[in-house]
Amino acid sequence: MNGLPCSPGVDFKKVSLMQALDLAVTIEEEARDRYLELADALSIAHTPEASEFFRKMARMEEKHRVALLTKRRASFGDRPSTVGRLQIFDVEAPDYDTVRAFMTVRQALDVALQSERKAHAFFKAALAETSDPEARFLFAELVAEESDHEAYVQAEIARQATDPWGDPPGDPAAYSDEPVPQ
Amino acid sequence: MDTATTTATATPKDYSSPLKPIWCPGCGDYGVLQALYRALAAIGRPPHEIAFISGIGCSSRIPGYTTAYGFNSVHGRALPIAQGVKLANPDLQVIVAGGDGDGFSIGGGHVAHAVRRNLDLTYLVMDNQVYGLTKGQLSPTSPKGLATVTSPLGSLEEPINPLLYTLAYGAGFVAQGTPADLPGLTALIEQAIRYPGFAFVNIQSPCVTFGQEEQQMRAHKAHMRPLASLGHDPSDQLRALDLARSYGKELHTGVLYRNPNPPPTYDALVRERQRALAPEAKDRARLLDVFLQK
Ligand SMILES: Cc1ncc(C[n+]2csc(CCOP(=O)(O)OP(=O)(O)O)c2C)c(N)n1
Ligand code: SF4
Ligand SMILES: [Mg+2]
Repeated sequence: MNGLPCSPGVDFKKVSLMQALDLAVTIEEEARDRYLELADALSIAHTPEASEFFRKMARMEEKHRVALLTKRRASFGDRPSTVGRLQIFDVEAPDYDTVRAFMTVRQALDVALQSERKAHAFFKAALAETSDPEARFLFAELVAEESDHEAYVQAEIARQATDPWGDPPGDPAAYSDEPVPQ
Repeated sequence: MDTATTTATATPKDYSSPLKPIWCPGCGDYGVLQALYRALAAIGRPPHEIAFISGIGCSSRIPGYTTAYGFNSVHGRALPIAQGVKLANPDLQVIVAGGDGDGFSIGGGHVAHAVRRNLDLTYLVMDNQVYGLTKGQLSPTSPKGLATVTSPLGSLEEPINPLLYTLAYGAGFVAQGTPADLPGLTALIEQAIRYPGFAFVNIQSPCVTFGQEEQQMRAHKAHMRPLASLGHDPSDQLRALDLARSYGKELHTGVLYRNPNPPPTYDALVRERQRALAPEAKDRARLLDVFLQK
């Protein structure tokens, strides 16, 4: 099987600009859908603040997806996508295991931070494997953009730390409530 | 399958219903469901040609979360109901889903017969070593010594070994996966569905609310041992039995056994017999004559 472990079947050595764009669009789509899924699970589990934060992340991923799709359409029109959802596994989407009932916004921010770092590492690894110059340019752009997202989440974490109504600093596990067997 | 159709453009979303799962956030079953959607999309049969049958438990809620036909039936009775569904409509792709309690406790007696009857069914057990839905009681796969609400001083029994159990009864396809490896789990489910006969996948699906620390996703990621990396040959039944013995100690993932020469399925044999008997078959209107003394 070609490709990085979370994108089986994508051969980066041969990837073209169109494939690279399709890949990036699909990655953003998966992340958007996952954030929405996690937000739904959290709102059902009476965790509205973390749920709302994940919805915000979903909107951010959607914005990024639309921007990439616009670029793709401008150069390649409506030709069918060369990358399917079956080829993308948790590239930027947070793992299902990262959320818990009653998690705090601070913990949700940590989840988002890990996901942005995951995406950054993925595009960096893709860049290292890719030889097509246009695709390389796109991957380099994406590496920079994921760094920006990471910086945004980090700034939010810093802002939270100074917010008197925000979650207390330190290890979230120390003050979060965990469901227990009854 | 006489009327199987496939759509080349199926996507995981085609199999996802608008009903939102009510599992605890973080539950392993979310990943299993995602792997299932993807496996179904890879196979491409439209939802109306698929039926999900389950028992009762958190994991047994799966039928409601798909766009396929579904029956969230009675605790421990998913397998007999699924066999009935398959025999009544052999063209349906029948997938059975449930928990370790549903499958190996109250429903344990049905597994052996489903295996030996060998209908073309896929049986997915979300093995979290606990009764999740009823809040954390001991299950048949709970490790010995586990303290729960029903074993406050620690269980005294050895767990059932689902892999050894199904292999020993002669299942033609036995695999184990975890949502900690989503691409791997997706591939296993796809292979199980494609296997022509009774196929069993034991999915170690962590219960984040009542499960033990060693059974969580982080532990799976750290300790799972893909069988492919051990050079295991899935057609080697004796080696599969040997590997299955380490259930509960090692987390082997992949196909343990796949019969390289699958025998005809029960549903196929029934059809064959029906065809053979067809010429002498009584007219539908005279069916009762079989039972009436003349
Ligand atoms: C006949 C009957 N007995 C007992 C129950 C109570 N009950 C519901 S689910 C369940 C066990 C669930 O455990 P498992 O099958 O492992 O599923 P999980 O919730 O862990 O996914 C039990 C004992 C029931 N619903 N019906
Ligand atoms: S109780 Fe356990 S098995 Fe049930 S939904 Fe919650 S985490 Fe999942
Ligand atoms: Mg269980």
